[in-house]
Amino acid sequence: ATTTPSQSKNSILVSNRQKGNPLLKHIRNARWTFADIVPDYVIGQSSCALYISLRYHLLHPDYLYYRIRELQKNFKLRVILCHIDIEDVVKPLHEITRTSLLHDCTLLCGWSLEECGRYLETIKVFENKPADSIREHTDNDYLSRFTHALTSIRRVNKTDVITLGSSFGSLSRIMDASMEELARCPGIGERKVKRLHDTFHEPFKRVT
Amino acid sequence: MLPFEEQAVADLLEDPNGGLVVVSAGLPLASLAAALLLHLHHQSTSSSPSPSSSGGSGGGGCFLILSAPDALKDQIRRRLVESQLLQVHDVASDVPAANRRALYSSGEGAALFLTARVLAADLLTSHLLPSRVRALLLLAAHRSSDVSADAFIARLLRQHRLLPVYAFSDRPHAMVAGFAKAERTMKSLYIRRLHLWPRFHVLAAADLERSPPEVIDVRVPMTNPMAGIQAAILDAMDACLKELRRTYKVDVEDLTIDKGLFKSFDEIVRRQLDPIWHTLGKKTKQLVADLRTLRKLLDYLGRYDAVTYLKYLDTLRVSEGVRSVWMLAESSHKIFELAKRRVYQVVRPDGTRVSIAKGTPTKKRKVTPSRSKKGKETENEDSASNKDDAQKVNAEASFLLEEVLEEAPKWKVLRELLQEIAEEQRKGDAVVHEDENNECGIVLVACKDERSCLQLQECILRSPHQVMREEWEKYLLGKAELFGLHKKKKKRSQQPKGFGVLDGQFPTGSNENENENAGPVSISKLETNALLAAASGISNLTKEADAKEDPVPSCSKKGSVKGKGKGVQKKITAKRQASKRKNKCTTENDNCQGTDVEASGKTVEQSDINVSKVSAEDAPAPASTPDNAEDLIDPKMLPPVQFYALDSDQHVLDIWKPSVIIVYHPDMTFVREIEVYKAENPSKKLKVYFLFYEESSEVQKFESSIRRENEAFESLIRQKSLMMIPVDQSGRCIGPTPANEPEPLFSQNSLTRKAGGRKATGKDMQVIVDMREFMSSLPNVLHQKGIRIIPVTLEVGDYVLSPLICVERKSIADLYQSFASGRLYNQVEIMIRYYKIPVLLIEFSQDKSFSFQSASEVGDDVSPTNIISKLSLLVLHFPRLRIVWSRSLHATADIFMSLKSNQDEPDENKATRVGVPSEDGVVEDDVRAENYNTSAIEFLRRLPGVTDSNYRAIMDGCNSLAELALLPVERLAELMGSQKGARTLKEFLDAKCPSMIS
Repeated sequence: ATTTPSQSKNSILVSNRQKGNPLLKHIRNARWTFADIVPDYVIGQSSCALYISLRYHLLHPDYLYYRIRELQKNFKLRVILCHIDIEDVVKPLHEITRTSLLHDCTLLCGWSLEECGRYLETIKVFENKPADSIREHTDNDYLSRFTHALTSIRRVNKTDVITLGSSFGSLSRIMDASMEELARCPGIGERKVKRLHDTFHEPFKRVT
Repeated sequence: MLPFEEQAVADLLEDPNGGLVVVSAGLPLASLAAALLLHLHHQSTSSSPSPSSSGGSGGGGCFLILSAPDALKDQIRRRLVESQLLQVHDVASDVPAANRRALYSSGEGAALFLTARVLAADLLTSHLLPSRVRALLLLAAHRSSDVSADAFIARLLRQHRLLPVYAFSDRPHAMVAGFAKAERTMKSLYIRRLHLWPRFHVLAAADLERSPPEVIDVRVPMTNPMAGIQAAILDAMDACLKELRRTYKVDVEDLTIDKGLFKSFDEIVRRQLDPIWHTLGKKTKQLVADLRTLRKLLDYLGRYDAVTYLKYLDTLRVSEGVRSVWMLAESSHKIFELAKRRVYQVVRPDGTRVSIAKGTPTKKRKVTPSRSKKGKETENEDSASNKDDAQKVNAEASFLLEEVLEEAPKWKVLRELLQEIAEEQRKGDAVVHEDENNECGIVLVACKDERSCLQLQECILRSPHQVMREEWEKYLLGKAELFGLHKKKKKRSQQPKGFGVLDGQFPTGSNENENENAGPVSISKLETNALLAAASGISNLTKEADAKEDPVPSCSKKGSVKGKGKGVQKKITAKRQASKRKNKCTTENDNCQGTDVEASGKTVEQSDINVSKVSAEDAPAPASTPDNAEDLIDPKMLPPVQFYALDSDQHVLDIWKPSVIIVYHPDMTFVREIEVYKAENPSKKLKVYFLFYEESSEVQKFESSIRRENEAFESLIRQKSLMMIPVDQSGRCIGPTPANEPEPLFSQNSLTRKAGGRKATGKDMQVIVDMREFMSSLPNVLHQKGIRIIPVTLEVGDYVLSPLICVERKSIADLYQSFASGRLYNQVEIMIRYYKIPVLLIEFSQDKSFSFQSASEVGDDVSPTNIISKLSLLVLHFPRLRIVWSRSLHATADIFMSLKSNQDEPDENKATRVGVPSEDGVVEDDVRAENYNTSAIEFLRRLPGVTDSNYRAIMDGCNSLAELALLPVERLAELMGSQKGARTLKEFLDAKCPSMIS
């Protein structure tokens, strides 16, 4: 099947090899289309996936290795999607783990086709989603955000935050403060002053 | 110490390998352990002058005591301190390493209580040399297994030299859980001998039965509703069990009601179901949960008073809701209904009780004659008192609450018992006043928990009825508060003035649409209203009562004076006054606010009388006492009573030395303790009363706990006869046989050409392990596989396998939890920064199912809270992160070894420095640190308005944070591509800090 570029951008590309894989039935939350691609699935700009079931791996222990080798280095995220469809998993899973780890692939396991399908969908749907839902979340009031930002600097504690806040009055004043001004704050020692000053005044990117 | 204990210690000392001792629950484990320690100490000190004896182990060294529960620890310590031979130290895990080292090497023989985590690390780092150790004692052997930390320690110690390991357990039934548990435990602890000391052991029995205490078994009949509830719960349990059997997922043999009475029942079911948990339907899982709930209900029936029980049921109904299976069953309906009937009844004006059933109002209309009579009388009184009130009030009062407040039958019996004891003691005093003056001492009342202790104390010092009343008032106020909030929210628009139930005003609004033939919904509403009305009356009273000082003594005095034989008549007057009072409160507050003060003055007086009268009267006890006055006891008449909560697990018998013990909640362990106490003090007179509810699950539970223990011992005896523990030529225990472990994979794969697959012997594999990881069993298993473990404190990751590979280990529970807290994100982020191959290890438990969720739980949509979504997001943000999925501890160890096989060994010093900034603030090895100001970037990304997608643009657009602070909002908007974001950021930067010091 031929696909227009816009279509291919918004949907999961599925290799023709995967035709007949019952997993495809379970991709419902994202569009997908067959395409002529090297990996089994292309899920985004820079991510792809190879599908393997443990049962298949037991029959063809070398398959996965050859497939990975074909991928070359074209994708940032290379997922091995492993379907756990046998009882005695330890040995085959060990081999798959080792192979994917040594060849820069990320292993994801699903215990049902639904779950495997869901991984593909989710990675597609979340392609541009920020990591907020798995990051530390702070309260939204001023003080906790203020504290959250300042305590990102090593060794700055809550007391220091309060000291800084009340001596300078606003965050922008703190960020613009000179060494001497910082040093005048009680409880903030020489090293902490330097660390604060470096954080604020050193350029984001160091020129090498 | 009793003869059989001495024998036990002597037996134990015979084998230089040590031994495992299993005793019946309640037999004196502490004195065994203490005696053993003293013996060993004595041996080593006496043998030290001649180093040839006792295999060179002379010269003392310390005794390590592991996994001692606090109560046991205290007892052992007390005994050792008394003897003054051994030093005793409790080494908590927060004792600094230097202090620990000092303790280890301190002089001759010290007994050290330690935690396994600390000890394992200290042995590995050689803070503690095995040569300094005289013996290892484990006090909870039932918790050991071949992967547990104490087995690890036993191995670390025994690797170097022969030293005895003594293990104890007083949970025989836990020692038979699982296949050949005792044998496997012994192997892993390097123990050859198993010593069994059941209560029925000839020597033990002889010692304990030489001068047994006088035992009086008091069987208290349950009230009818209690018996009804119990029957209903058992029915429900039976139904659940039948249902569970029908799933064919569990072994039917073990599932009996008898077993269902114990906590271990859950374990049996869980152990069977865990491996297939993900294949189970919702219903089966719910059944398992329901059985647990029902067991609790059964237990609480005998322990909680009627009101608290009802309260618990109410919360259950809210929390369990429609999910649970039993809640919808016929029998559960009965439970609720009866529990309610123990507390209150709702009465119609025509004298019939209104039974409130969910959806079926007409179903239960049984009317007991006596109750209906009471109802009628109340009603008559009501109409009399209401005559001068408005019609509206009559309508309100159409459903009245009649308090039942059934007291626990045991309360009464306990009080009678205490009186009887007091009497006897007085007589006894008269006879043997001279010599036994101080011995007639304390009466000990043992009940299950602290809560019952307090309540019983109240019951005895004051009247049981008062206790019930207080609980009832609390209950009503709780209800009122709940509904007050409810109503306020709902009705504000209609009644802008906002009445609160707690102000004593009756919510008339909801009553207007009620009539006699109201539907099911409004009947329960009527009930609620009646409850609220009662609550409002009480809240008024309590408010007023606060002003009056110390009403309690006056109450009881009046009660005892007036309470003499007036019979039913007075009850009526009390009721009348009560209802009058109620009406007054509501109506007067409604109509004439001005007279409020006066009215309240009156009510206080009235209530005072009322309470006392009711307390003397209202006990609907099955066995009616001829004289009501006796119901209130003068506290001075009672013997000194001490209450003891069995759950607190302290051993008080030796301290308080009671002469009479009332076992309020029978418990097998405590019975044994009493026996031992008596055997140790044969001259002392001891009388023991057991209070059982007749034909109750309490009795059943007590009896089957004994049966269960005996069965466990029989099984252990059988196992002992078949046990095979391998030893070497000199009789040393070889320990766990490595033969039955699967060979590591890499050696299977190695070519036969290489010397027949012989392991490369040259260098030791080593893994650097974070100190905190010693809570888990993985270091132990790695060590079993022959890997050298180097414990250090790591800033980044949990295990360092090679200079490139760093592993963060997460058990399933950990994984969920650290996803939720955001910790995982941080950990991965930092790991990626410092290591080329950062690994997230997801470790499943061997005996649980290997999956997150069943296919049916995956759902139809991408839900952001699902574990799949979280993992996908993690993978998307950290494409370099590698994930290892491990089936079990052993699988993890194999994977570690295979990953390490072609890598360099990790460097301890380097690993500990990773992530720790050096003096000038630059972090070593940070792959980004050379090119980026990482701390500034982290700071930037935490500012509001800055997102994953725009922070790079900001960094491109301005040089540093200081510069950013001065940028105008227009420029920010340009960089960030959003007006809104820019404004948010600018406002945040320039916002005035609230003055935080004030």
